[in-house]
Amino acid sequence: MSAQTESTCGHCGISFRWKAIESPTDDGRCVRFCCRGCQGAWQLICGAGLESFYQRGDRQSPTVAESLLQTVYNEADLARRLVAEGDLCRLDILVAGITCPSCVWLLERIIAGIPGVEHVSLSYSGGIASLRFDPRLVAPLEIFHVISRLGYTPRPFSPEQSDLDARRERDDLLIRFGTALFLTMQLMAYSYALYAGYFQGMAAGMKQFLQYVSLAVTTPVVFYSGWPFLSGAWRSLKTRAPGMDLLIAVGSLSAWIYSLWALFAGLETYFESAAMIVTFVLIGRLLELSVRRRAMSGISALYASAPRRATATGEGGVRQVDVDSVRPGDLLLVRQGECFPVDCLVVEGETEVDQSLATGESLPVLLQVGDQVRSGCINVAAPVTVQALRPAGQSYLMRVASLVRMAQAGKPHLQLLADRVSGWFVPAVILLALMVGFGRFLLAGEGAGAAVMTALAVILIACPCAMGLAVPAAVLAACSRAASLGIILRSGDVIERLSTIRIALLDKTGTVTKGHPRVVGIKACGGYSEAELIQAAATLEQPAAHPLAGAIVRHAADQGVLPENCREFRNIPGLGVSGFLPDGRSVLCGSELFLSENGVVPEELSEADNAAATAVMVAIDGRVAGRYLLVDGVRNGAVEMVAGLAAARVEVRLLSGDHQSTVERIAEEIGVATAYGGLTPDQKLAYVSSLQGQGRQVLMAGDGINDAPALAAATVSCSLTGSSDIALENADVIITGDDLSGIVTAWRISRATVRIIKQNLAWAFMYNLIGIPIAMSGHLTPVYAAVAMTASSLLVSLNSLRLMRLK
Amino acid sequence: MDETLVILIVLSLCLGAACWLVFIWAVKKGQFEDVEKPKHRMLDDD
Repeated sequence: MSAQTESTCGHCGISFRWKAIESPTDDGRCVRFCCRGCQGAWQLICGAGLESFYQRGDRQSPTVAESLLQTVYNEADLARRLVAEGDLCRLDILVAGITCPSCVWLLERIIAGIPGVEHVSLSYSGGIASLRFDPRLVAPLEIFHVISRLGYTPRPFSPEQSDLDARRERDDLLIRFGTALFLTMQLMAYSYALYAGYFQGMAAGMKQFLQYVSLAVTTPVVFYSGWPFLSGAWRSLKTRAPGMDLLIAVGSLSAWIYSLWALFAGLETYFESAAMIVTFVLIGRLLELSVRRRAMSGISALYASAPRRATATGEGGVRQVDVDSVRPGDLLLVRQGECFPVDCLVVEGETEVDQSLATGESLPVLLQVGDQVRSGCINVAAPVTVQALRPAGQSYLMRVASLVRMAQAGKPHLQLLADRVSGWFVPAVILLALMVGFGRFLLAGEGAGAAVMTALAVILIACPCAMGLAVPAAVLAACSRAASLGIILRSGDVIERLSTIRIALLDKTGTVTKGHPRVVGIKACGGYSEAELIQAAATLEQPAAHPLAGAIVRHAADQGVLPENCREFRNIPGLGVSGFLPDGRSVLCGSELFLSENGVVPEELSEADNAAATAVMVAIDGRVAGRYLLVDGVRNGAVEMVAGLAAARVEVRLLSGDHQSTVERIAEEIGVATAYGGLTPDQKLAYVSSLQGQGRQVLMAGDGINDAPALAAATVSCSLTGSSDIALENADVIITGDDLSGIVTAWRISRATVRIIKQNLAWAFMYNLIGIPIAMSGHLTPVYAAVAMTASSLLVSLNSLRLMRLK
Repeated sequence: MDETLVILIVLSLCLGAACWLVFIWAVKKGQFEDVEKPKHRMLDDD
């Protein structure tokens, strides 16, 4: 390995030390590549005359795994997805691996250069290539091969029904809005003429003509563009849940009906009010929709990263199947460069995987037979055969995605307040408007027109939607932002609780430390040889799930010792394990406390030379047989987390079942003042409860292995990926990735969200409190009221969007 | 004078209708689909 000098690949740019594959260039130089795949991509690009690709500053080309070139796509499946357009065919391809605008540049040019391809356009945001081609000249399969030769992974794209619905909704709204806008612009011209005529006088025939034209252009605005409001109002009447739509519908319809009556009665008309109300509110709806789309994009990314096809192996040979048809137990082949389609278990082969999507871990992780791998991880080194553990719908990615979805639907307490208020708000506003209108007409003796206009202004200025949006918009934005930062918040409710946290308790093993301890020292005593000790310990620890147990088993494997079958295995969480060797000898493995509790007289072993090491004692037949020393590195970001929480005046304490001196060493290393060692799971729970008894809101972070009860009791529980599945399923906050500072980020997001929610609610209440009296006073025309109302709900939406920019 | 106005109003309605049709066509064609890529396009040399 070291004999080779380091080279840089001419295509993907990685540095490597193995033998380079070389290609001559036209000007006599030699370009080196890390693999045949990259060489092929380079030849393809240069052959198309696109060498300038390599000069682009923002270029990030993917490594082309050679086996990817042989990836088989199912021709029949592709043919099914073709859409015929005359002589041409249309096909949408989801291209994975697009990281920069240069990728789009390259792909568009290369694909457009394929003979028979008439048109191609690639969307940067979605990574979807839509192309039209002549099926007589080029097969879709060839296009797929070209894309994969460049190192990108093409997949037939069939958009989710929800995406299609969202698109249709937006297009529909856009057309309604555009129509309203054009007609309203025409209408304004006639209205100005009518205003002028009102002050300067106008021939009666001309006035009537303009009023008729106004009626002609207003009617489609009210009934076509305003249809979403009319149908929404009808629905809300039927379900007796008056809402925003009802106010808009009442406002625009009554302006239109009054004007129609006024037209025939020869009075002044107010058609422009009816049309403007609809137009302005439609602007608000459109912006709201794009806010929602942006906030949802985090979840869509999670869904999009899930592969839709899998390669099944087994009796039927190798074939492509739909991910949804994969059942637990099925054997799948995952080639290099492909994504693991479902959660699975490696049964053959050895490879490295990129887990950055699932855990945020950036370095590839070695995967061997018997290891589990989560869906969404990318196989980077070699093909492996895996066995599906769960159906696709329950895979890790889908569970995370549905967690985020559920969180966005969850309602914090503040929402309940807003719901209660808007429940009686709309009927109250309509009643108020009627009272004001009749009062002005009957008591103050105003004209019917002015009275109706004042009543309309009252209806329109009232803005229940700012109230309705205040909380969900903020929660939606916060959850999406958190998800994109690798933090999963279980529900909107958690945000509120998290912001009240005053004390954070951290479990040491697997939370503050990496959870991958190594054996650094081993000492046999009592007449046992080291080999005997290793054999006994590995046999006992084999069935245990604790990270320390894993380290002891791995250590044994490194020494070439195979564990035997343990009998009567018992796991006492937080203390140790006990059981019998096949030859009937009883063995205890665990802390000193565990051994003495079981009647083993602790033997004086030389003091641990490394105080940060965790000691695991082994006793055979009631006598101490030796001791393991294990150390575990501190996770990234632990120091930053403690400092960050301290700056936020959140106290941090360390809890562990480990020895007090070990815990103190770690505590000192990361800057925690208070640390408790030697705690059992029950004591941890008691400690959490006693803090809560003092009225303190407690955050507990742990891996769920021996702190599950404490996690469940804490005000907010937090788990890191790599923790046990139970902890992940039940944690309020999940930090994906290795970095502990995510806890601080989660806390900051929660504080910011609660602040934004309070701002939103305060604004919504204030606005109505001030706006409605002004409208009642008759100083506001309905048009201005509609503008103010739209601006108010926009303000709330945009204010919530600020959360998307949190770092 | 009245005739002029009527003609102008009808004319402006026709113009508006033409723009409206172009707009509908654009929406249906997906012109508002991707607003991310075009802004990078001007950075390309060719």
